Amino acid sequence: MISLAGFGRPSLLAALVFATFALIACGWGATAKKPNLAAAGRRALAVCAVFVSLAALSLVTALYAHDFSLEYVASYSSRSLSRPYTLSALWGGMEGSLLFWTLLLTIFSTVAIFKARVRKGTVVDRAAAILAGIAVFFISLLVFPANPFRMLAGIPSDGTGLNPLLQSPGMMIHPPLLYTGFVAFSIPFAFAMSALVERRLDEDWFTHTRRWTLFAWSALSIGIVLGGAWAYTELGWGGYWAWDPVENASFLPWLTATAYLHSVVIQEKRRMFKAWNISLILMTYLLAVFGTFLTRSGILSSIHTFTEGPIGKWFLPFLAAMLISGITLMVMRADALRSENRFDSLLSRESAFLANNVLFLAAAFAILWGTIYPIIAEVVSGVRLSVGPPFFNSVFIPIGLAILALTGIGPLIAWRRMDPGALGRIIKAPLIAAGVVTTGLGLSGVRSTGALIAFGACAFTLIAVGGEFVRGSRIYRRRERASWGSALRKTLARNRRRYGGYIVHLGVALIVIGFAGSAFKTERNEQLSKGESMKVGAYTLTYESLQTASTPEKEIAQATLRVHKGDKDLGTMAPQRNLHTAQGQFQSEVAIRTTPIEDLYVVVTAFDPDGDASVRAFVNPLTWWIWAGAFVMAIGMSVLLTGPIAQPVTATSVARQPAEPVAVGS
Amino acid sequence: MEAPSNPPPPARRNKFVVGAGIVVLTLCGLVAWAMGRPGSTSFFYTPTEVMALGVDAPQGEYRVNGKVLPDTVEGDPDGLTTTFEIHDGATEMRVTTDSPLPDAFWTAMANDSSEVEIVARGRYSDGIFTASQVLAKCPSKFKAKVAAGG
Repeated sequence: MISLAGFGRPSLLAALVFATFALIACGWGATAKKPNLAAAGRRALAVCAVFVSLAALSLVTALYAHDFSLEYVASYSSRSLSRPYTLSALWGGMEGSLLFWTLLLTIFSTVAIFKARVRKGTVVDRAAAILAGIAVFFISLLVFPANPFRMLAGIPSDGTGLNPLLQSPGMMIHPPLLYTGFVAFSIPFAFAMSALVERRLDEDWFTHTRRWTLFAWSALSIGIVLGGAWAYTELGWGGYWAWDPVENASFLPWLTATAYLHSVVIQEKRRMFKAWNISLILMTYLLAVFGTFLTRSGILSSIHTFTEGPIGKWFLPFLAAMLISGITLMVMRADALRSENRFDSLLSRESAFLANNVLFLAAAFAILWGTIYPIIAEVVSGVRLSVGPPFFNSVFIPIGLAILALTGIGPLIAWRRMDPGALGRIIKAPLIAAGVVTTGLGLSGVRSTGALIAFGACAFTLIAVGGEFVRGSRIYRRRERASWGSALRKTLARNRRRYGGYIVHLGVALIVIGFAGSAFKTERNEQLSKGESMKVGAYTLTYESLQTASTPEKEIAQATLRVHKGDKDLGTMAPQRNLHTAQGQFQSEVAIRTTPIEDLYVVVTAFDPDGDASVRAFVNPLTWWIWAGAFVMAIGMSVLLTGPIAQPVTATSVARQPAEPVAVGS
Repeated sequence: MEAPSNPPPPARRNKFVVGAGIVVLTLCGLVAWAMGRPGSTSFFYTPTEVMALGVDAPQGEYRVNGKVLPDTVEGDPDGLTTTFEIHDGATEMRVTTDSPLPDAFWTAMANDSSEVEIVARGRYSDGIFTASQVLAKCPSKFKAKVAAGG
């Protein structure tokens, strides 16, 4: 392939010019009511997307052409790097990932603005101006401090190659999905701010960006899970989540976005919570940008972080400007943000949603506090410290369990007001299930209080949400004498938004089963000579042999371990410890034997010269359920994303029995 | 929540303030409690600071970072314990650990490099720092997490 790197920087400069023009033309056009000027600005935004795509394409061609005259190509790829991973080098380093981010931003903005054209008014133009403004910021980063097209004085014969940790299928899709999630939140953010400026705070701005919000949230959710799966299968410490600042950076916007997805339903149904929803989308977007800032600036010396880059000082003013202008706008428009309705009863869907929001925000603030506390402590008292997993687990587990319980109860409660007796009838079966599970596990020797509560809450939620499907389908069964299968399909098809949401809730409950299982993990470290065995949990591992091989990329050393559970031979596992020659870096490849009950997780942390292996083995109960739950969540998301977006909106939905599948409220 | 034209009745507003107050106080309480849990926060020191603190060093585990002196790395015969010295330019400190060392540590040793910077978490007594966890700060461009231990 021919390297088109020469087009890179000129394309970025052109993109910067067009983005600046789009910002001015759309902003001025919307303010001075000049539709032609605004239209020119919108077209400039599209041209800007074309130029950013050209820049990204030229970096990709440079990567595939092994054009090591570019510092980026020489630092993140090599001749021996396989073709798919050469593509992932695009987001393997700071400059490339910012270019990728900008690419998504300009494409999403263009699609959103042009698809939104049918609607009247200047809300779209103002949103286009805001999106162009964000694009100007990110393209400026690429033109000035984080230029991916920087040339090297001498051309090396080969590149350093991509960090072997990033050479994994999970890392092919995890960063793009996270970025997609982060970036797609720009669209609802821009429309919300625009609606605020234009005083058009009817339900338009969020119903029209609803699919974007769902899309962003889904991408972020799956991206986070894949990040955990990557950590689990690649890093070899037996876990999937370490409360590292970089992980928190992706989790924080997810929490506020989840709160937003729920509370926006109240605005849709009851025209309440307008100011609240604007604040949530503002917070979500700021946290998404803050996450990028945290990971790229090196302000937290997370071991995860990209090099202490020069771009930190650019992000802080950008964040501050957005925060200040967002809050100022909300204060100026406070009169338009009044609710049109009020709470009718404490026992209503509205208050369940309010409780959901309070819990999600409480979790977000607690985690944000733990994440930035080291910065505050260093600035205030000069002490360097770090906040570890015990803090995050202590704050998140209680809040998370309350959220889980609400996941089950919330959907059972009717809008406006519910008769406590009716709730009592519906809640009986889930409560019994929770009681049975908790007592059963308690009697069979489970001693962890947190895990007992978690399993109880999972049983509650699964039965409560499952009950909604049963009640919905029963109506079709009675009315149309349909089979359970077709009744269930009809129920789903009739109200995809409601039942899609329930499927996501089921997935969440399954994931929590997996989290609770980690309370029972066991770990053993032992040095084994050939023929020796070690025990971990109910398993016995016997070190049988060592094989070595070499490929152009790495020297492989693989231990074969025979696995017994009691007397039963379960075959062999083959963890590797490889030397990646391009980087001169050792990398352990984990061997995992996974079942729904427990994972056996084996890593070789070192081979000594006589071939003895230092083996680290874990038994991780129920981890399988995390991935299963995430899969169920993904099914729910696709039901939601492919379903109709616009719903009949009634300002005052009638109170309903939750069992009625065709009711207005959902 | 209030209707568009009427100001909210004082009783309703009071209820809201009380409710919000309870939520905020509960959250602050939870955060304060969690900050006090063992292992929640750990201090970072340099070897010089640890030596200077001596017996005044904080109770519990804390972290020390420094660069490894390659010649000082030695393994015990049982194969799991490794001892080495780290320095911060001024002071050297002996570290011992029986937790697995990160790949980047061995990579740097194999390449005979003195550049590997580690963060050890543990306790200091009698001139030796006993680490329950050692993380590497790799000097490479992408600082992926290279975790080992706990």
